Amino acid sequence: MNRREALIRVAGLMGGTLSASALLALDKVYAAGEAHAATPKATLPSSGSGPSILSASQSAIVSAVADIMIPRTETPGALDVGVPAFIEVMLKEVYPQADRDRYLAGLTELDTTASSQHGEKFVALELTKRVALVKQFHDAAIGAERQLPKTHAHLQRPFILMTKELTLLGFFTSQAGATQVLQYVAVPGSYHGCQPLQQAGNGKTWAVEPGIAF
Amino acid sequence: MGGNSYDAIVVGTGITGGWAAKELTEKGLKTLVLDRGRMVKHGEYPTALLNPWELPYGNRPTQEDLRHQPVAARTGYVNAQASKHWFVDELDNPYIEKQRFDWVRGYQVGGRSITWGRQSYRWSQMDFEGNARDGIAVDWPIRYDDLSPWYDHVESFIGVSGSAESLPQLPDGKFLPPMELTCVEKDFKKTVADKFGRAVIIGRTAHLTAPLAHSPQRGTCQFRNMCIRGCPFGAYFSSLTSTLPAAEKTGNMTLRPNSIVYELIYDVKQGRATGVRVLDAESGAHTEYFARVIFLCASTFGSTFILLNSTSNRFPNGFGNDSGELGCNVMDHHLEVGASALVPGFEDRYYSGRRPNGFYVPRYRNVGKDKRDYLRGFGYQGSAGRADWPSLLHDDALGAELKKKATEPGPWHIHLGGFGETLPYHENRVTLDHSRKDKFGLPVLAFDAGLKQNELRMRKDMAHDAAEMLTAAGYRDVRTYDNVVGLGLGIHEMGSARMGRDPKTSVLNAWNQVHACKNVYVTDGACMTSAACQNPSLTYMALTARAANHAVDELKHMNL
Repeated sequence: MNRREALIRVAGLMGGTLSASALLALDKVYAAGEAHAATPKATLPSSGSGPSILSASQSAIVSAVADIMIPRTETPGALDVGVPAFIEVMLKEVYPQADRDRYLAGLTELDTTASSQHGEKFVALELTKRVALVKQFHDAAIGAERQLPKTHAHLQRPFILMTKELTLLGFFTSQAGATQVLQYVAVPGSYHGCQPLQQAGNGKTWAVEPGIAF
Repeated sequence: MGGNSYDAIVVGTGITGGWAAKELTEKGLKTLVLDRGRMVKHGEYPTALLNPWELPYGNRPTQEDLRHQPVAARTGYVNAQASKHWFVDELDNPYIEKQRFDWVRGYQVGGRSITWGRQSYRWSQMDFEGNARDGIAVDWPIRYDDLSPWYDHVESFIGVSGSAESLPQLPDGKFLPPMELTCVEKDFKKTVADKFGRAVIIGRTAHLTAPLAHSPQRGTCQFRNMCIRGCPFGAYFSSLTSTLPAAEKTGNMTLRPNSIVYELIYDVKQGRATGVRVLDAESGAHTEYFARVIFLCASTFGSTFILLNSTSNRFPNGFGNDSGELGCNVMDHHLEVGASALVPGFEDRYYSGRRPNGFYVPRYRNVGKDKRDYLRGFGYQGSAGRADWPSLLHDDALGAELKKKATEPGPWHIHLGGFGETLPYHENRVTLDHSRKDKFGLPVLAFDAGLKQNELRMRKDMAHDAAEMLTAAGYRDVRTYDNVVGLGLGIHEMGSARMGRDPKTSVLNAWNQVHACKNVYVTDGACMTSAACQNPSLTYMALTARAANHAVDELKHMNL
């Protein structure tokens, strides 16, 4: 059963029927989606064209930090869904130069701290020391950011929190994160505004909150 | 009729253009419908079915996107990867901001009816009487009773989900079944009713919560909340799902995309407009089209641009601008002010489906016996839901603990955002600037408009009252916010060719006709004499349907 058939079935289950013209519209969406998909895009896109902005050793640090933040457990983790490559694309195309510069400086700082505290590069540390160092940077950064007024302007978010933000974003919008860790229904078909937690799907957090974007 | 002659011309295919096209063609007029943007048909929504993992960049705009849409980016949402293609490239379509003015535009067939917020509220008698009562600006030339049957007509056709509440300041309409409030929203509703005597109602929104017999091409809402991408089910009202198909069905519509109307043709001997001049956005060719009646529905400032750019010996300062009011009285709803809170309890309650709607707190300030140190009032839109993974950014947890926390719905939060009425100020205006040209060689608009004391005083209440209600409900961490950003961000722009009783002080009459040239109607937001605080699109639609039927009658009686 392809997705188109699945959607039609969902509409049928919900007691609705899709008229011939509605089906035609659905087909147009697929055609438009395919045309759109012809432009470069990917799930968690790889670095794409042009020179990469992270060296191999910098990439290794990003991967190690992302892995600590969302490891593989009984479900996939950040590395399984390609978070490091996602972070690199985001740095390259979504963030301005100033954020990139701060990110790379913070990354270096983590590595030099590893050297000064333990005499070894970050990625060479045993896991418990890596985790402790990430925790140390992380707790200091969230402590500092919590003190700031709730505004998004000029946050100057440091390396560790940019990595966390992007790991959360990349992971929970990935298919595995959205469907295996959280729960996701593409076409809910109905709305129940107030129900027992256990009756809301499988009771886990929805991957996409309706938020206030209406 | 010759090749370029029609009974009617409609400029624009958004919320109002679609309605003009439907009404005029259904009454038998051969109608040319022009849009400056590309062709889009219902179903041609490239991102509508993409899952989160199929959108690049985590759905955020890239630096290159921001370079092309810096104003749209001020909204914080419209130029996400899922919806950026519905908004203009601002490098090609520049304008001037003497004061910051957020002009968010969508140039395509369907216009911004594809991306609108869908909240649909009637205005009340209080709103139409406001200017006369307060002695400001000019009086509306119509009252609620003039529009009431047209609200009925529009709601019955587009489908509006909502609850009847018998509130004099927010008249009930023809409603489809309402959507449901969340547990916390129900709790808040009770507190606000008990302690303040104010209403909290489910939003009234142009979604089908039940089928409409007259529109079998439309399905019911599937609660995906991806509306801004275009709905493949046709569940919310847009020109593409509703009015343009109705117009097409008559066989009387000729729809021509890529057609930039830049000037009205005025015949001084006949004392009427005979047609429009069109620049083809693709070929650059200039063509004239002719008709007995012309509807400008090109969006508030789109229509204002055409009028300002249509100068002649008769109208040296812009078409129909004998009053000097054309381009003046620019309004929007002022927002970015309200409060949020953390809601203790309700941990065992959740919801299913993504409701494309929130709750609404109808205006209560300066209503009845309430009197404030400012004129008019505001409403709130808001919602309550449970925190999810983005809130974990500032959580101590990392690793397996972070993953586990993410699977457990977080605490409930509630948010109230105000929508305040902006008064019509003559000096809040938009003008044509010939010193700068867009990529088509046309002059650009320059905005010089901002909030004044009345709005700033109102905003104090908008933040204070929100916090007071949240606190009274027993919620914690109540935080107010008030980001004064200026006008435009409400995307409810209006007023620049206002209706009025007197040609000396207004551009349009009670039927949306240009006072000085009766076969030109302007029925988009430009016509508004005041702003009220309700979302305006439903009123634009009702005014358009009323004006179109008036035009048909006038043509029949040979009055145009």
